[in-house]
Order: sequence, then structure tokens, then C-alpha cells
Amino acid sequence: MSYREKLAWLSLGAMALTFGPYFAIAGRASAMDRPMPNLQLLWLFAIAAVVQVVVQGAGRFWLRHQERLEGGLQPADERDRAIEYRSVRADYGVLIAGMILVGCVMPFNSGGWRIVNAALAMIVAAEVVHYATVVVSYRRYA
Amino acid sequence: MSPGTLSNRIRVLRFENDEMSQTELGRRIGLTRQTLAAIEAGKYSPSLEAAFRIAEVFQVDLQQVFQWNSEGVGR
Repeated sequence: MSYREKLAWLSLGAMALTFGPYFAIAGRASAMDRPMPNLQLLWLFAIAAVVQVVVQGAGRFWLRHQERLEGGLQPADERDRAIEYRSVRADYGVLIAGMILVGCVMPFNSGGWRIVNAALAMIVAAEVVHYATVVVSYRRYA
Repeated sequence: MSPGTLSNRIRVLRFENDEMSQTELGRRIGLTRQTLAAIEAGKYSPSLEAAFRIAEVFQVDLQQVFQWNSEGVGR
């Protein structure tokens, strides 16, 4: 498995580990019509963001260390760049559609944290599409 | 555009050149070992430049490395 595919798996795992629980908790509170207090939700988001940074940082450090042990980190080649281009194209569509929904539709029937969380969810969805496209591309063309 | 497949003899050429490793070939032409494995398996078509570089390493013509098998020929 290439270094860049491992990075994509790491990012998918880190997002599932952090933003999965965040959206589950925030979404459940919102669905029960008992929105969480601002400070509580802010703390929840802060914890998710910090854990995300720590997991990604530690994971990348470990992966780089492993690559060095196996002969050094190789620069991206033409196939890596083609896969990166394809995944950016895929996530851009999701991000644009999400931002149109959140910025142009939701303000008419929602507000506050619902919009904030919807925007966050769209960013996370775009990231998931990005890294999932990377993984599928490496599997298909590997 | 007529359908077809691109096949290659990189594995054979590596064998004929002192069992050159994918890592070594990749290092000489600027591709990762994983990309070379994908090319050898026919799952990734390299750029024209990479194809010429591979042929250059083995000191053979491009056609001796890559072959285009058109499904429309003879119909």
C-alpha cells in the first residue's frame, strides 16, 4: 500500500473517530428538539477538532517514520498526481452543492447551530468523498 | 474510439536485465514501486514520457515494451 493511500485511510479513520461522535451527539440533541447549550456544543466541537489534529499528527508522524525505515519517502509521481486531481474534482462538487444548500437554502428555514453544523457536515462530507476517492482509485489502479 | 487494451513486457524485460527490481526501475524513471506494479499489471496506463523512459532504461524500442491490442482490427 502506498504512503498516500495510507494517509487517506488515516484521514478517513480520524474523521470517523472524531466527527462521527460529534454529529451523532449534536444531531440527536437537535432531533429531540432539545438543542444543546452553546458552550456545551462549542466544547464538543473543540474536543473533536483537537482529537482530529492529534490523531492526524501522530498518524502522519508514524507513517513518515515507517516510510523512512522502508527506504525513504518517495515524491508523488504521475499516478499519485492523477489520483489527487480526480479526488479534488470529486470533493469540489460535494462542497459546492453543500455550501449552496447551507448558504442559500437553510437560512430561510433554520438558524444558529443547525446552519453551523450543516456547514461543518458538508465540509466533512467533502473530505470523506476526497479521501474515499483516493482509496478507491489506489485500489482500482493498484 | 475503438476499444482495445494496452499490454506490456516490463516483467520479462526486468527479468532479462538481471532481475531488476520494481523499486530500482522506478527510481531510475521517477515512479514509485506501486505505480510500476500497477503498470505491470495493466491497471494503469503510463504517460508517453514515462513509457519512453522505461524503454530507454531497457534500451529497446517502445513497441518492445508496450503493445496496443485493438479489438477492432480484422472486423
